[in-house]
Order: sequence, then C-alpha cells, then structure tokens
Amino acid sequence: MKTLRNLQGPALTLTLLCGLWLIVILGLLVLKPSVYNLGTVTTILQFSTILALVGLGQGLVILAGGSGIDLSVGGTVSLSAIVGMLGVKLGLPPVLLPVVCILAGAMLGALNGWLVNGLALLPFIATLGTFFVYSGTALAITGGAAQAGVPSWLLLWGRGVAMGIPVPFLTLAIPCFALAGLLLLSTAWGRWIYAMGFNERSARLVGIPVDRVRFILYSLSGALAGAAGLVSLAWLGSGRPNIGQNLELESLTAAMLGGIAITGGRGGVGGVFAAVLLLVTLKTGLLQLNINTVWQVGIVGGLLVFVLLADRLSQRWRS
Amino acid sequence: MNAVRQLGNGVFSMNGREWSLLVACLLAIIIFSVASPHYATSGNAATVLRNSVELLLIGLGMTLLLAMGGIDVSIGIVMGLAAIAIGRVLGADGNPVLALVAGPVVGALLGCVTATVVVLGRVPAIVGTLGLLGVYRTAVFVLLGGQWLSGLPASLTNLLATTVLGVPVPALVIVAAYLAVWLALRRTPYGLHLLAIGNSEEKARLSGIPVIKIRFVTFVISGILTGVAATFYVATYRNVEMTIGSTLALDAIAAVILGGTSILGGKCSLIGTVLGVLLLRILQNGLLLIGVPSLWQPVVTGVLIIGVLGFEAISNRFPVVQLLRARA
Amino acid sequence: MLSQFKKALAVSVLSLVVATAAHAADKHKVAFVPQLIGIPYFNAMEAGGNRAAKDLGVDFIYSGPVDTNPVDQLQIVQNLIDQGVEAISVSVLDASSIAPVVESAKAKGIKLFTSDSDAPDSGRAVYVAQATDEGLGTTIVDELVKRVGEDATIGIVSGEATASNLNAWIGFMQKEAAAKYPKLKLLAPQFAGGTAERAAQISGDLMAANPDIKAIIAVASSTCPGVAQAIETAGKIGSVIGAGYCSPNTARSYLKSGAFGFTVLWDPEQLGYLTVWAGKQLIDGKSFEAENKIAGLDKPVTYDAAKGILLLGPPAVFTKDNVDKFNF
Repeated sequence: MKTLRNLQGPALTLTLLCGLWLIVILGLLVLKPSVYNLGTVTTILQFSTILALVGLGQGLVILAGGSGIDLSVGGTVSLSAIVGMLGVKLGLPPVLLPVVCILAGAMLGALNGWLVNGLALLPFIATLGTFFVYSGTALAITGGAAQAGVPSWLLLWGRGVAMGIPVPFLTLAIPCFALAGLLLLSTAWGRWIYAMGFNERSARLVGIPVDRVRFILYSLSGALAGAAGLVSLAWLGSGRPNIGQNLELESLTAAMLGGIAITGGRGGVGGVFAAVLLLVTLKTGLLQLNINTVWQVGIVGGLLVFVLLADRLSQRWRS
Repeated sequence: MNAVRQLGNGVFSMNGREWSLLVACLLAIIIFSVASPHYATSGNAATVLRNSVELLLIGLGMTLLLAMGGIDVSIGIVMGLAAIAIGRVLGADGNPVLALVAGPVVGALLGCVTATVVVLGRVPAIVGTLGLLGVYRTAVFVLLGGQWLSGLPASLTNLLATTVLGVPVPALVIVAAYLAVWLALRRTPYGLHLLAIGNSEEKARLSGIPVIKIRFVTFVISGILTGVAATFYVATYRNVEMTIGSTLALDAIAAVILGGTSILGGKCSLIGTVLGVLLLRILQNGLLLIGVPSLWQPVVTGVLIIGVLGFEAISNRFPVVQLLRARA
Repeated sequence: MLSQFKKALAVSVLSLVVATAAHAADKHKVAFVPQLIGIPYFNAMEAGGNRAAKDLGVDFIYSGPVDTNPVDQLQIVQNLIDQGVEAISVSVLDASSIAPVVESAKAKGIKLFTSDSDAPDSGRAVYVAQATDEGLGTTIVDELVKRVGEDATIGIVSGEATASNLNAWIGFMQKEAAAKYPKLKLLAPQFAGGTAERAAQISGDLMAANPDIKAIIAVASSTCPGVAQAIETAGKIGSVIGAGYCSPNTARSYLKSGAFGFTVLWDPEQLGYLTVWAGKQLIDGKSFEAENKIAGLDKPVTYDAAKGILLLGPPAVFTKDNVDKFNF
C-alpha cells in the first residue's frame, strides 16, 4: 500500500507539469499566434540541451538518496570546457576534444564521489567545496578570457539542425535520457538506485553495493556535465570560463520540479525532462511576449514553490 | 543527550574544531606577517574586521538554521530587500532612527514569509528557499526599477561610525548579537528544543516540543539578524545596487560549516562560526597582500572546506588521534 | 510594469482573455540587448532608445539578461530573431555570445549589430561605439597622471573577469602606461564580480598591500561604490583618489567627499539614441556618411567605414565642479 502511494507522487507531478506546459502553450497561442512555427521548437530545444544534460545527472544523484546533491555541476561544466580548450592549445589533437571534455567531467565527478564515499563528507558540503574549487579554477587559470580555437567540424555538429531538432539535442540529450530511463525502469541497477534512495540501511542489508553505485552516479553526473561543456564549446565556438554559472541552482530547480524527492527514492528522469522543457518553454514564451526578464526568475521560483506545496497538499489529502 | 552536554559550555569555551580554527587563524596571521611587511598593521586589521561585519551577523542566524536541520539559500537577497527599505526611509527624510528600525522589521517580515512556505507548508528548506530566492530577486529588480539607490544621506553612517567608551558601534552590536544568540541557545528552553529538533524532528515532536513554533521563530530570528546586517551595509556603502547580497548565502553557509556546525542539525558552534568567518576573511585579505590574484579566492574557500572537514574525517579513523584527543 | 505583470500572469495562470492591445504591425522594430538589466547605465541607454523611437517612428524593444550570462543573452537575441525584429543591437558580453546566431540572422535578412561592446570579426553590420576602447583606456590614465604624477602606483579593480569590453579598456590602460609613463606602476587588475561588497573588500586589501598606492581605478560601474567606500573608511581621502567609468549620479557623493577625483563616461542616453537611429538606418538600407548630423543628438557622429564603427565622440570627464550639471 505504501509503495503504491509513493508511486503516485511522480505521476502527479508529471500530470501537473504537462498541464502547466499546455497552459503556457495555449497562453502563447492566444497572446501571440505568430510563434507557432518550427523555428520556435528549434530554439526551445537548443536552449534545453545543456540544462537537460546537467539536470539528468543532478536528478540521478538526488534519486540515490543519502542526502545526495551535486552543487558542483556548474563548475564542472565550466572547468571541463576550459580543460578541453587548454588541452588543444597545448597540442592535443582536436579530434580528442569530445573525449577530453567528458573524461575531465567524469574525473571531477569521481572526486565528488570519493569525497562522499571515501571521506564520508556530506554531499552538500563536499560539492559546495568543489563548487568553489571548480568554478574558481576555471576563472583563475584563464584570467576570465574566453578560449578560442574550436575546430570547425565540431561547430558543424553543435550548430546543426536536423528536421527542426538541434543535432546535439538529438544525438546527446535524447539518447542520454532514454538510456537513463531504461536503466532505472528495467535493470537491477535501477532497482538498486531506488532501493538505496528509499532506505539506505535496508539496501545495504540486502547486499546492494551502495557505495559503488553512489560513486558511479557522482562520476556520471560529472561526465554529463562534461558533455554539457562540450555542447557549449561546439555551439558558442569558444570556451567560456563562466559558462556553467547558475547551473547548479537551475538543475536543482529542474530536478525538484520534475518530481524527484530531495530525500531520494522517489521520482524519475521523465519528470526531469518535462521540467526542463517546461522551464525553457516558459522562458521563451515570456521573451516572445517581450515581458521584462526580471519576471523570469520570480515566476520560475514561484512555480517551484507552487509545485512543492501542491505535492505536499496532495499527500496530506491522501493520508 | 548531545544537547544536554552542550548546555554546559561557557560563553566562549571551545572544543577541538574551534581550537584548530583559532590556531589556523593565528598561523595564517604569522605567515602573512612574515611574507608581507604591510600585513601586521592596525589599518589592515581594521579592514579585515570591517569586511566581516555583515557575514558575521548573517552567519549567526545561519548557525541556528543549520543546527535545527534547516538552511536558507535566499538570505543574501533578503539582506538586499531590507537594504532597499532602509535606503528608501533614509532617502525620504534622512531620519536615521527610523532607518535603524526598518532593517530588522523588514528582515523579520521576510523571515515570516520564508517560514510560512518552509515550516507551515512543510517544504524541504533547501528547495523552498531556492524557490523564494527567485521570487525575492524579482522583488529586488522591481523595487529598484533599474535605478540604484545612490548617494544616500550620511546620517546613518555618522550614527554608526561613533564609538562608545572607545569601542566602535559595529563591534558592540556584534558582541550583543552573539551574546543574545548564545543565551537563547544555551540558557533557555528554546535552545534545548532547537537542538533536539536538529537531532531528530520526529523524536522532538513525540516528546512534546512545539516543533513548528520553534522552527518558525528561528527563521524570523535569522531574518532579524540579516536586517541588522543590511543596516550596516547601507551605512557603509550609502548605495544599494541590484546585485546586492548575491554571494552572501553560500559564503555564510561555508563559514558556518567550517565552524563545526553540522548541516544535519543537532550540533552547533557559535564561536566556530565567528572563527570560520574570520579565517575566510583573513585568508582572502592575506593572500591578496602577498600577491595572489583575487580570482583564486573562491578556490581557497573550497579547498578550506574540503581540507578541514576531510582532515577531521580522516583523523577520526586513526585510533592514536582519538586516544590523544581523549587524553587532552 | 503593471501591464507586464498582467502579461506574466496571463502566461503563468492563463487568464485566457486578457488580450493586450494589438501590435502596430506596420511599424519597424529595433531592439537593444544590454549585457545586464537593472543597472543605471543601461537604463539610461533604454531611455535614449525610447526617445529615438518616438522621433523616428519605430518600435523599440529593450530586453536583457538578469545575470551576466552569455547563454541567457544568446537566448534573448535568438528569440528576437524568431520574432522577426528587423534590427537587433547587442552589447555583447563576449564575441562568442552572438556567434551562433549571426548566420541565422543573415538568412532572415535581419540586421544584427553591436552597440556599447563590440564583437569584431563576427560579421556584425556595424558597431555603435561610445568612444574607442583606446580612447577610454588612455583618457583615464592621462587624467590620473595629471593628478598624482608619473611616479605613482595605481590599482585596478574590475567587475567580471569575463567581460571582454572591460578587459579591452584595461589592456589599453596598460599599453598607455608602458608607452608614455615608464615610471608609472599599474598593479595587476583584480576582479570583484558584480557586488559592491567584494569591490570594497579588494580595494581595502589593495591599499593595505601597497601603502604607496596613489589611485584606484574602478573599471566596472558596479565597482565604483565599493572602491569609494573603501577609500572613505580607510581614511585615505586626499592620499588615494578613486576614478572610474561610472555615471555622475552614481559618483556624485563620492566626487563631493573627495574619495573620487573624477569619472570618465559618455552620455549613455545619447548612445541609446544613436543605437536606435543606426538600426533605423540599416532597416532603410541607407549607408552611413563619414560625418552624420542627427537631429536628436548634440554633436555630429563620425563613421569609420574601414572598421565599421559609428562613433559617438570623445568621452567626457566629470569632476566635482561639473557633476551637478548632469543627471544620468
């Protein structure tokens, strides 16, 4: 009975998100019919890619419980992009750029995993520390200067559009979400993640390798942030040392809006995907109506509070 | 149990972490004094202390929040909103007394708003305050309307720049705030209840502690302290800009964690928070003095957090250290 | 603001029928995207843009990011392109912040150009400049040398390390110092981000580290209050002078207290006017003359065809003697 009730949480959030999304779309239709074309879809997906990748990693880390959170994702995006570009500058063959970015991200994530597992630091503290270190290092080693020199074939990938869908979204974000969804729903690993998020002690008792899973998830979150760094390179054409600014808070917002419980064990990646699209659609809609951007942060924040309260209230009604 | 044991602490009595922080501060001061001839001057000491005022006040409130298992990531922007209120009062007729009241009042009101969402709405504090962070930021933008409050009258500045018996007013206010929070924490049922909630909210509720009331009040206290910080901010800069307070929340959390307060709640150290703030400021100041570019300062903060907590985690595993500690 | 609020509400809550006034479809549209909204400087540009829009009979759209984040800026530009705004001007955070959309703008026949901060070699149609980067960098150094002499140490406090226009000015300051004043010692630039607090902290540290410092340059307008405050509280008025690129309104009280010697700036209202005029000109397919007389501007505007730069004129220097004549 209890598990059944818990399953209703994400479903409720997902319905709520889809409803809100429809409202935004309908609202736009009424206020500004001209936005309905393929270009708008392309724009929305283009600006969703980085947040989607980072939000996925954030969501998985939180889902696995143990007070899991990754505040360093923004710093990881910046630093892995910078490491990649500095590598090219130092004579690394540009062909390796994608590998270097993702690998750098994975290693930065692995460091988080080690701090959490090996040193038993609380995730909030460990990743707050690495947030300062990663984002600070990216700025300090470049002195703030953008790093140019992205090879043109990478730009072709980063700025390409196929059937109205940006190529990075098609080839990176969608497969990542599909794989993660598959992993969670139909593999032992997925069940482990939910189990340890729901109750870590009993997960350990039944022999789930909790530490190993957690370490891999932090590394994965780092690798996804590294991939987001790569997307930023391929899209902007240069490495910006502050490209990941605010992503820690935005990804947290997406994961929470997407119905992942902050205590872990509840939620899914489908909700995160929907939340990212909702957030970007909302921003796009407000921009298309030329509403002052100061309202964006407030509306997103208010939305987060609203969804959380709705979730709480529905739980109270049911019990 | 934990809470009861801590009740015995004196106003400034210290444990292991706090001693290490004090030693770290002194060590840093000695090293910087040797490395730079300009370090050990009264002017520089005043600079460091002056730059710690807002963070100290906000840190005290954050200590209480973390000790009961809460957090507030919107606190920097709360200071911004309080500063706008102070600036408006000051700009209207330059009355410094009214301005003195405005900060704490607005801080308390916003504390009520935050508490309503987080405590009454039963939303996890970190996510709830994250949402409010966005709402408050929009409020700052809308209230300022793109213009900064610039060139505010100096009446408040002059009032707070005076000394009483040779002690500057900011120092007096900080000591008073420290003593008030310490008394509340260590000498009243409130403090006992707060730490009990931090240890286990469920158990606290079962043992009849008014959990909701205590948590609500704590957010309000944190708001009031932030309002006082805003008063000093406006008095110092006579300017309120749009980006006000945007980095304060994370800095305050970092300092409190460094000071030995557990973010899981139940364990709290006021003197540790003070030392944590001072250590951060001493390092930032000293490194710039010996020629390290300011861009490295966040990196130092991060390394310090990981280093101090990591070192403690490792040292706890070696029986020798524990033995030594037990004997000491 | 109220109608915006209504619009915002309509989107988020969908009160379906709050249909706003129909757009005047036949008017040309010109947009300006600043680096950051909510600061007085860009607000003044918006005011100038509005005045030009009225004079020239176009619609003017002003929209910018709330953080200095290139992706947010890019998103705003992309949405303006999607809306079919005919001329879009951007004060770029960095050349890369418009690179991905230059092609799609060209494909749609939209005139994308820069204003206030340039992205050379990006394929932009024109750059509307307040003054040359070189002129800004050298003016401030020359003016400072007039006041403190050649044999002096000067500190630099900037805002975001990633702002390419600020970094260009600093580069020209260093070049000018090296070429003309061999005895002048320009310290390495320090970066305070967007907050006045950090600027004050860093300026205080700089003065402690270099007791012989004669002046501090506040490069970003958001660092002016912090630098001035640090000089005031350190009691160094008279021995250290502040200078920077900030508006008369922001700097007025500091100029009068003596914490600031002078500030260098142009009239951003005029720059905003020129930006919209240039957009209208591009839409109409008219080319720029070597010297353009524009009805709404005080002085004629020169055009450098080789570099594609439309120049407002030399920067103005504001001191305590002339600051009261200006209000922006």
